[in-house]
Amino acid sequence: MKVVECIALTKVFQDFWGRARVRAVDNLELDINPGEIFGLLGPNGSGKSTTIKMLLGLLYPTSGSARVFGKSPTDTAIKSRIGFMPEESYLYRFLNARETLDYYGRLFKLDRHERKKRTEALIDMIGLKRAANRPVGTYSKGMARRIGLAQALVNDPDFLILDEPTTGLDPIGTRQIKDVIRILGDRGKTVLLCSHLLADVEDVCDRVAIMYGGKVQAAGTVEQLLMHKDETQFVTRRLDDNALTRVRELIGQAGGEIMSVEHPTDKLEDLFLRVVGQAQRDQLETSGAETAVGVSEFLGGTGRKTGESLVASLVEAGRGTKDAPATPKAGAPAPVSVQPAPRKDVLSRLEAGASEPVDEKKKAGGPVETPLPTKKPDKAVLDRLMKSDSDGGAS
Amino acid sequence: MSLEDFALILIGLGALIGLVAVVYAIRKAFSRGAGELGGWEVAGARQIITAIARTTLTEGLRTKIASGFVIMVVASVPIFWLTADGDGTIKGRVQMFMTYSVGFSSFILSLLSVLFSCRSLSNEIAGRQIFGIVSKPVPRWQIVMGKFFGVMTLNVVMVAYVGVTTFAGTRGLVSQFKSRVQSEFVTYAGYSPEQAANAVAALDDVRGVGKEGMESPILEAMSKATGFTIQQLAESLLKMPEATRADLRRFDELRRQVLVARTAIQPPIPEEEIARRVEARFNQMKADGELPITQSEREIRDQLNKQFFGQFCTVVYQDSRMWVFEGPPPQKGKDYIMSVRFKMHIPQGLNDFSDPETGAKLEEDTLLSLWGIGDPKTANYYEYLGAVPARTTKEFEFPMDAVDPNGTIKLRFANLDPRRVDVVFDLAKDALEVLYRVGSFEMNLFEACLAVLIPLACLTAFGVCASTFLSFPVGALLVLCLFMITSSMGFIFESMAITEDYMPEDPGVEVQIRKAVIESIDWALSIGDIAVTDQLMEGRAIGWDRLWSNAWRFLLLKTGAALFIAVLVLRRRELAAVIV
Ligand SMILES: Nc1ncnc2c1ncn2[C@@H]1O[C@H](COP(=O)(O)OP(=O)(O)O)[C@@H](O)[C@H]1O
Ligand SMILES: [Mg+2]
Repeated sequence: MKVVECIALTKVFQDFWGRARVRAVDNLELDINPGEIFGLLGPNGSGKSTTIKMLLGLLYPTSGSARVFGKSPTDTAIKSRIGFMPEESYLYRFLNARETLDYYGRLFKLDRHERKKRTEALIDMIGLKRAANRPVGTYSKGMARRIGLAQALVNDPDFLILDEPTTGLDPIGTRQIKDVIRILGDRGKTVLLCSHLLADVEDVCDRVAIMYGGKVQAAGTVEQLLMHKDETQFVTRRLDDNALTRVRELIGQAGGEIMSVEHPTDKLEDLFLRVVGQAQRDQLETSGAETAVGVSEFLGGTGRKTGESLVASLVEAGRGTKDAPATPKAGAPAPVSVQPAPRKDVLSRLEAGASEPVDEKKKAGGPVETPLPTKKPDKAVLDRLMKSDSDGGAS
Repeated sequence: MSLEDFALILIGLGALIGLVAVVYAIRKAFSRGAGELGGWEVAGARQIITAIARTTLTEGLRTKIASGFVIMVVASVPIFWLTADGDGTIKGRVQMFMTYSVGFSSFILSLLSVLFSCRSLSNEIAGRQIFGIVSKPVPRWQIVMGKFFGVMTLNVVMVAYVGVTTFAGTRGLVSQFKSRVQSEFVTYAGYSPEQAANAVAALDDVRGVGKEGMESPILEAMSKATGFTIQQLAESLLKMPEATRADLRRFDELRRQVLVARTAIQPPIPEEEIARRVEARFNQMKADGELPITQSEREIRDQLNKQFFGQFCTVVYQDSRMWVFEGPPPQKGKDYIMSVRFKMHIPQGLNDFSDPETGAKLEEDTLLSLWGIGDPKTANYYEYLGAVPARTTKEFEFPMDAVDPNGTIKLRFANLDPRRVDVVFDLAKDALEVLYRVGSFEMNLFEACLAVLIPLACLTAFGVCASTFLSFPVGALLVLCLFMITSSMGFIFESMAITEDYMPEDPGVEVQIRKAVIESIDWALSIGDIAVTDQLMEGRAIGWDRLWSNAWRFLLLKTGAALFIAVLVLRRRELAAVIV
């Protein structure tokens, strides 16, 4: 059974007089399999949120149908398996963080003990322990977003829907969202991640679909979509000139052409992590978001304390490439350094003379094969799509 | 086709359309097609409704929407306690305090209910917090109920506060009064504190019929408690301020007529007799060929009916009338007391009158009359002859032995006024009643609180219903308008000239339609028919059967219907659709 199944799903917004105004979602066909981390990409106004709202019964389809867990979205029972983080945090300004999470726990009919446990764990996780007794109306946007994340997780959902989860979040929060997604994914849960930020999606998603004007323009695994088939990047420890010359020769012999040779650089996210991590190790005061602590245990995380997880993440950041989100640069041809994460096996294959990179699933036992779109879009296509829309995308 | 038939056809069509709409709505409500969210699940409803109600309540108290009203209610009761004065007597003070605190609070709570409930859902839809509820396993009917109970919890708490403080306040006023009298006994009459205390304690033991002056049962009770003779007591009382002396009698009235729960019986109206006379007169007119040709037979009968009923209510000069009340068998308890309450209508402009022979004076708006109670053939017959104020409601008590052991009460009235006026007791408007005690003040106050809650529940349900499809200020204005309309329904009936008094002899179709429309508006909008403050003021028992019928008609039917409609609307509504 599919977690989500959309059949010719269409939403036309009408004005007061019933005249059609906006075709926000147009004959959308979309399947999400159990255990899959699915990224729904698209520029602003491409119909991502509208699709999600139809999956939740907040909007009703104009035509076509959507099924969630095989049921109509209007079914109340399936909601207990779903966690939803809306595009903005719509919270009760007068409740504090604890009361907010407790309230949502009640709506899931959790018992008192479980509510208390999860509330505390989640507040710990999103790093708002010290602000937990303030009304959420006084929170900054990013802090409210963290509550938004926590309330989506309070029922340990089988299917997590995140609508642009990283807007307004600092890099730590952003990283945490990715961690949550990964851990839930490892536990076999399904995630639908909606975003217009490629960086959010490419690191974690098994499969992505790119929407534009309410239609899916491209779909497939991230590798399929992002791989530059005709370019290869490899990263090594610093090579001396001699070795470099030999590599150049080798590439020349293989019929390749070197476009640029660069040293790996730190990315802003890593720098930010290091600076904030240092401040927190020095225990400086903040009235805003504090240290984020791993992923709560009941969600399958380790719930490790600040120091450890930060050190761990810094170690990772220090390695500099593994989780590196790529930042598309407008106009310029994609430089070598923004290529998708290189893998050791590429080099070995290269040395063995295999010039074709291998499509490989991110995880063992991951999602089933998806049909490749006939025309494989590459990064440039994505960037064009992302840039081209600024007026709502409904035309 | 006559205008009347046309109106009938119109009304029939309207009813048909209404029926179709109701059937359609019900069918839609229970169908499970696309475009409806949440079924009618009941499992676990309590927990979710409580959670939503709690949050609603928290919102009301933490944001300023409800707290202002709450403070007003909380503060008003002590303020009324301090300032209530009435006519200056202890009875007036207590009556005024009670009616003000209950009346004002229920008005403020009505506003609170409307504003708070009209904001409840619309605000969350506008602020999108509703996404957080609807994306959780919460059927929509539970959202509506959660909002309703959230507002109602506040109402219940506030009404309970008003009930308790009003009770404490009346107690306080009474004990304040007693200690004042006690200290006056000491300062003016030179009693020892102990004697004064006994005299005051006797006030709660007064029994028998309230009378003026030396015959008063108050003096009897005091004399029994203190050991002084009535004469001695009267002399000591004369030394005390005049206001206190008057207050002693007012206090007795307060204790026995206001701080109790009494019920009323009306004299039976001989409808068959009237009908027979109407029929006889009608036939006679027909035989004599006197029937007016401009009127239909029914109209003529109606008119005759009115005429004979009026005759039954009227006592002309030099005439007397005996009414027989069927009451309960009399009780002997010391607080048990029965009284006659009446309001006489006499023509306006009745001047002062002085008898040229005796020089006795009759004041304006009084009527020289004779009242007798009991069976004149037995010893237990009591009579009173004197000038009695007309056009206001008066009350006098009568001894229990005037009542027949099976409960029958015979009341005689003779119109002896030398100014030759006719007196009318409007029996259709309770102008003549016998009142007797059925319960305690505490219980009645409790029932009054419940009675106050019924309209509040209706208003809250209307508000929640409005908030499912109207934004806050619009919905609140609408429901406030409805509230104003039902509060002034009597006035509207008058201004549309469709009360009994104004009804033309031959109401045309147009008047009939107007009347039907306004009556159905009244039927649809009325939110309770217990005039709580009047009941408390006159010490009338509200009664569980009356409460129950109100609960049934307004709480179950209207509140239920409003909430049901609210659920239907919310189920159909696309909560994420932005309506600009
Ligand atoms: N309630 C609404 N009424 C009218 N138009 C809407 C409504 N919600 C969204 N739209 C329009 O539908 C299109 C898709 O919006 P949305 O799904 O929110 O885009 P995004 O992909 O950025 O989440 C936009 O053009 C938007 O203006
Ligand atoms: Mg969006």
